[in-house]
Amino acid sequence: MISRIWRPIRDGFKGFVRHGAMALSSSVAVTITLIIIGIFGVFMTNVSRFTEGLEQSVQISVKVDYDYEAASEEDRISLAIAGIPGVRAVNYSSKADEFEYYINSFNDEKMKEAYAPFRDDNPMHDAFYVEVSDGTQLENIAAQIEKIEGVEEVNFGGLSAVKMVAAMRSIRLGGTVLALALSLLAIFLIQNTIKLTIMARADEIAIMRNVGARNSYIRSPFVIEGMIIGIVGALIPIAMIFFGYRYLYEITGGYVISRMFSLIEPFPYIWQVCGVLLAISILVGLIGSFLSVNKYLRWKR
Amino acid sequence: MIECTHVYKKYKKGVNALFDINLKIDQGEFVYIIGPTGSGKSTLIKLLDGEEIPTKGDVYVVGIDVGRLRHSKVPIYRRNIGVVFQDFRLLPSKTVFENIAYALEVINMSSDLIRRRVREVMNLVGLDDKGNALPGELSGGQQQRVAIARAIANRPKVLIADEPTGNLDPAMSDEIMTLLEKINREYGTTILMVTHDLALVNKHRKRTIALEHGHITADLKEGGYVQHDQ
Repeated sequence: MISRIWRPIRDGFKGFVRHGAMALSSSVAVTITLIIIGIFGVFMTNVSRFTEGLEQSVQISVKVDYDYEAASEEDRISLAIAGIPGVRAVNYSSKADEFEYYINSFNDEKMKEAYAPFRDDNPMHDAFYVEVSDGTQLENIAAQIEKIEGVEEVNFGGLSAVKMVAAMRSIRLGGTVLALALSLLAIFLIQNTIKLTIMARADEIAIMRNVGARNSYIRSPFVIEGMIIGIVGALIPIAMIFFGYRYLYEITGGYVISRMFSLIEPFPYIWQVCGVLLAISILVGLIGSFLSVNKYLRWKR
Repeated sequence: MIECTHVYKKYKKGVNALFDINLKIDQGEFVYIIGPTGSGKSTLIKLLDGEEIPTKGDVYVVGIDVGRLRHSKVPIYRRNIGVVFQDFRLLPSKTVFENIAYALEVINMSSDLIRRRVREVMNLVGLDDKGNALPGELSGGQQQRVAIARAIANRPKVLIADEPTGNLDPAMSDEIMTLLEKINREYGTTILMVTHDLALVNKHRKRTIALEHGHITADLKEGGYVQHDQ
């Protein structure tokens, strides 16, 4: 019973060793494609994270008319805004808060003092800050808010904000499509190399059937061998990502150009990336060898 | 043991290989199948070991309807028969011992029994000391004896040999024949041997079935080859 589990594993390793050159060349194909997928994946996850961050930082500021500052009116406005489809959150900021915020934006103590007298005669408006769930709806939602009675002014950064959101979108979408295409190409490439290593043993498979081996019996060591090929091929890319990303994070100090483009913290992110790479390599090795053996099992009856 | 009734085989490419073959071979018989190249000998073997499906008719071996086996069941059927090929078909990366053992591993025999049985058949074919050699390190005659040892390791009722001496010189061929006769005598294994080595057929006389252009042209119980002048 134990031998039924161990035999394919043992024979899988034997096959890998005995056909070392062939198996290694398949592993190299895995290595190269995984390096590409790994680097691209790290790049894309980072880009997509800070584009998402940027997109969510876009919000609509709504100033309330001086005549509508009564609590009941403001509640009504707040509810009306929240009722618009696509609005994720509405945050209230009183005119006192706004004033403090404005004053604190100066680093210079003298400037702060110069504005202090206005505290009692506050020129600021009560305001709502509206976060939207879909950046492309910014303009549309802003227009709807403007129609609400008691809204003095609506500001959402204008067309540039809308354009930035759209640009971020296309970067993310393009990246995802490219990553998928690249992965498919990689899987195809690896499957083909594995097919070559198995093709060299088509006779072997026919002989196994001749002496009475079941298809599953023949297949299992090949599948294990494919998985070993995948794992061996993943070693270098995993090491590269593991040390490379930490190094990158250290030398850049965690961000690129400005704080806005901050990198994802190395842990547990690296583990996740390495886990995904390992999973891809094992899966590709498994599927590649499974399909190839099946093909040669059918080669002779 | 082996029974073919009205068997026809036509290949997809349009070649007609066998016409209306009727054949009955009993347990313990030793039968030659002879005929020139293209007479359908190999096709007959392929029908018997499940590699090809008859276009028409029934092929029964050890009570199994070979022509209607599913692809996945063919190997299971082959555990009942041993097949020896002209080109030996040994696994090149496995040693002699492993090659023979493999046929027993696939039927889940315990490793103790496998070891004992492999030594037994290696002794029978006279290769006691070659267990660790790879097939490539052996002569043709030795490789064929390994193939025979593998074929009989799980005590099949039928042994099919497709030109087992085709690649061997006359002295080697004689040795292989003696070995096959021994297996036939000692185990009572039914042996079906395809050959075009007429010297061999005339020397070791057995029931002989002659094929020509896909037809059985002679079935001689007493053996010996009948020359057809055409």
